[in-house]
Amino acid sequence: MSATQRPLPVPDEQSAPFWDAAAKHVLTMARCSQCGAFSLPIDIVCDHCHTNEPNYSFEPVSGRGTVRSWTVIRQSFLPGFEDVLPFVLVDVELDEQADLRMVARLLDDTGAPSRVGLRIGMRVAVAFEDLAPGKSVPAFVLDES
Amino acid sequence: MSRSGTHNRARNEVAIVGYAQSMVRRHAEQPLGAIAIDTAKSAIADAGLTVDQIDGFVGSALFPTAGAHAAIDGVSIVTPHWLAERLGVNPRYAAGFQGFGQIPGSVALAVNAIASGAADYVLMHRALHNPVGQYHANPMREAPGPMQWTAPQGFFGPLAMIALPYTEYLERYGARRETMAAVVVEARKNGARIPWSYWHDRPLTAEEYLAEPTIADPIGRFDCDIPVDGVATFVFTSAERARDLPNRPVHVSGFAMGQPTHRRLMLHWPLDDIMATGAETAGRLWEHAGVARDDVDLPQVYDGFSPFVYFWLEVLGYCGPGEAHELVEAGGIDSDAPDGLPVLSGGGALGNGRMHGIPQMLECYLQLSGRAGERQREATVGLACHASPHYGGAVVYSSEA
Repeated sequence: MSATQRPLPVPDEQSAPFWDAAAKHVLTMARCSQCGAFSLPIDIVCDHCHTNEPNYSFEPVSGRGTVRSWTVIRQSFLPGFEDVLPFVLVDVELDEQADLRMVARLLDDTGAPSRVGLRIGMRVAVAFEDLAPGKSVPAFVLDES
Repeated sequence: MSRSGTHNRARNEVAIVGYAQSMVRRHAEQPLGAIAIDTAKSAIADAGLTVDQIDGFVGSALFPTAGAHAAIDGVSIVTPHWLAERLGVNPRYAAGFQGFGQIPGSVALAVNAIASGAADYVLMHRALHNPVGQYHANPMREAPGPMQWTAPQGFFGPLAMIALPYTEYLERYGARRETMAAVVVEARKNGARIPWSYWHDRPLTAEEYLAEPTIADPIGRFDCDIPVDGVATFVFTSAERARDLPNRPVHVSGFAMGQPTHRRLMLHWPLDDIMATGAETAGRLWEHAGVARDDVDLPQVYDGFSPFVYFWLEVLGYCGPGEAHELVEAGGIDSDAPDGLPVLSGGGALGNGRMHGIPQMLECYLQLSGRAGERQREATVGLACHASPHYGGAVVYSSEA
């Protein structure tokens, strides 16, 4: 693993379990202890029931979802992405809950979505990019299954 | 739709009575604060007033960069408090607007201050700066807080923000990216006629638009307004006091804003969010202003990114959902055509530079006050939008009290 210049996530008290699981290539989502709904991003207030004591538990999820939108990034404003330009970002609705959305890279055939025929509605599955020791971030790959 | 709107007690009770607009430049020779001082004094004089009569200062100081540039008052931003102090005024009322929809937000502060008697003559300004170096470049190596969910994954900055809902629009409605050439060419055509515009005398052809590569598909460089240095200033007072001043007053009939109730990832703006909250804002606008869409002679839609033109046209009901691209392709927003909607007659942000919603507001003011010169149109009721329909807002103006 070569040292990345990409910005690394800084876990905080609330998000640490998410990043610990990500380092093991496990995608988790934060479930509100009051209403049971998943939220991303997490916050001091639940986005669904508005409790200010969500006491989230992080549960493994399938990592499967549907592409709701996409773009090809050809110029990055952040360091460390030069090597992967152009790259595809997908806006994904996870299967676990309506409108539970993540935005991350699509690792297939980077930069040439026309070759994979990328369209809204296509299925994807989570994958992980290892950025540094103990630092892995979620991404997606097309799900042929 | 209620047209009585008896709850808007300030309807047409507050008016714009003077203005000044600086030259819009890539990088101005003067510091931003110095331009703001000149522009403020010009606007006050234009209104037939003196600096000591100004007792209210409002505005937004947002520096809309995703980059690491510092927000330094007087240099890269100008707050109302900075401006008052540098003009030597201890104002009865000074307030900055926080959030999106900076122009309608600031107009609302001015109207409310005057209608409540908190101030009699309010100066509203917007000062925008283009820092040296790449506007959105950010050398961050660590992403804490809300950014941890987006930046490490490569989702960052306003181009990706607008590219995602624009892709949704194109796929959902079978629209073509090429159609947007008509929007950008229209903005640049009108901006080319405006002496202070960065794009003065520099129209764009559809061929030039289409030849430009994309940066964040389907967004290319010409779909984005260009960062600039520029300041605009307006003077507001009561309709009653306005009668004694030299310029024909332009009244604020009403305004509306809004924001989604659900949280998203930073800069994640799904198309459905934009349209749903935008529709609520439009409904609030007609009610607060006491007008219907057909009463509006001069709608000015926001265009900081070109897809916002489609979104605002649909939110305001100038066409049905998914139909704006057809309206545009049929020449429906050609401000030189007798039946064209003049929604970009003031050049917008694409035709002037990144002045936020100022070009839309200024076009309403100039046309309704009869001060548009060679560009003068027949118009009584204007509408100026700013920002995205789901986080921004709009203001209705009238030349009649």
